[in-house]
Amino acid sequence: MGWQAVEGSFRDPSGFVYSRDGTLYRQINTSFRQRFEAFLTSGLYDELVRDGLLVPHEQVGLEFSATNDACAVIRPQRVAFISYPYEWSFGQLQDAASLTLEIQERALARGFTLRDSSAYNVQFQAGRPVLIDTLSLEPLEEGKAWVAYKQFCEQFLLPLTLMSTRDVRCSTLLRSYLDGIPLDLGSRLLPRRTWLSPSSLLHIHLHALAQSRYAGSAVSSAAKGRTMSRKGLLTLVKNLGAAIRGLSWRPAGTEWAEYTTDNNYSEAAARSKRNLIVTHLRESRPGTVWDLGANTGEYSRAAREAAGLVVSFDVDPAAVERNYRRVRAEGETGILPLLLDLTNPSPAQGWAGRERLSVEERGPADAVLALALIHHLAIGHNLPLERVASYLARLGKLLIIEFVPKSDPQVARLLLSRPDIFPGYTKEGFEKAFSRHFSIRAAAQIEDSERWLYCMPASPQAAT
Amino acid sequence: MYIDPTTGSLVLQFLAAGILSVLAMASRVREAVKNFFKHLIPRRGRWAGKP
Repeated sequence: MGWQAVEGSFRDPSGFVYSRDGTLYRQINTSFRQRFEAFLTSGLYDELVRDGLLVPHEQVGLEFSATNDACAVIRPQRVAFISYPYEWSFGQLQDAASLTLEIQERALARGFTLRDSSAYNVQFQAGRPVLIDTLSLEPLEEGKAWVAYKQFCEQFLLPLTLMSTRDVRCSTLLRSYLDGIPLDLGSRLLPRRTWLSPSSLLHIHLHALAQSRYAGSAVSSAAKGRTMSRKGLLTLVKNLGAAIRGLSWRPAGTEWAEYTTDNNYSEAAARSKRNLIVTHLRESRPGTVWDLGANTGEYSRAAREAAGLVVSFDVDPAAVERNYRRVRAEGETGILPLLLDLTNPSPAQGWAGRERLSVEERGPADAVLALALIHHLAIGHNLPLERVASYLARLGKLLIIEFVPKSDPQVARLLLSRPDIFPGYTKEGFEKAFSRHFSIRAAAQIEDSERWLYCMPASPQAAT
Repeated sequence: MYIDPTTGSLVLQFLAAGILSVLAMASRVREAVKNFFKHLIPRRGRWAGKP
């Protein structure tokens, strides 16, 4: 009684994750007892946790179990914000792939293997990727091939190769194909020159051909008694690692990645805006802030001065990549850059539409920043102000929003090629629309600009 | 095992591991041969400056 399964962990018969009284638990079923105990006593768990590759857990009593077939219950350290591969930048997916291979390499050295290489088993914690599925490691059966090889290729290698050699926006395919991009589709989409790359040829193109050649064949007849040595497995994993490291993408030239160095704020305006944001946030002491339209995260870092975690969302893959590279380069622990198109946000999806959560279901955030965003939504995307207010009120408990008037050069730019059909886009119209969902606590003009910064808690009825 | 590794993927994996092992061995042999000849022919100036 009193427990709720975490959707997304029900496919594995060896255990599942659930929450009870707000605490997260993972039950290990009796069928997995020996393998779990072997993993814990092998030293592999300690090694992976010590080096920050696996989320640590605490073992608790069976009284915390959810069902009768539990043999153990663990309380894993909770990840502050769950994100999905289709929300990651190129570098994030690449780092998650490298983490998976690093773990597999270390596991093989100790006679273990990853029985699952799902990208959904990786999360970002304190700026770094970490494996969250403690049950995905099991003793290696000598002679057996790596069961998660295809899954690795479809969830990591192929998407990264498409992003690197075709177009970085191919990552959006991961939103349709939650189990990974099918090899045959990826093989058709990749540029012809990838047939000349040994790793793409082997792990993607020939892999896709083998899939269709042996479709419907039993393993026993096709494999003809072949076995795989541990050395062979290690060679394969090392080669995949080299292939992943060999892929690159340069985040430049897109509209937003250049925005912070090419906008119309004066130094005084930027300083004034920053001070107002930090002051408002310090007053409300939020745990988590969502910065919507964060670009490369300049103001996310200001928000971080007052919050434990800032999820730094942007629609532009180059901006998110730059933001993530800065997080890695400077070892920042409280910024999580993610890709999000606010006009088509990550939906609830997967089995029964509940396996992966929508952005809204992962909230509400303690505070939401919407800086230099409203004109893009209202004018760039024809979204009525009232609808924008209604959605933002569902995303966070407090909103810090910048109003950019029509006289601003950035708005004028949006109206260059179209008639102005937005008579209601005024400071008064904005305040009226937002007052229906928020109570405006403070409003101040940003120094040396015509823009205004508002701080407004969501009205109680907004959450319903 | 709760995910399907698929037959085609397993067959390809055996092939991949075989090819990669052969390539790795060839690379090691090449390095060994290079090192052998490097030691056979002393580098110019190796003893320079020494009595």
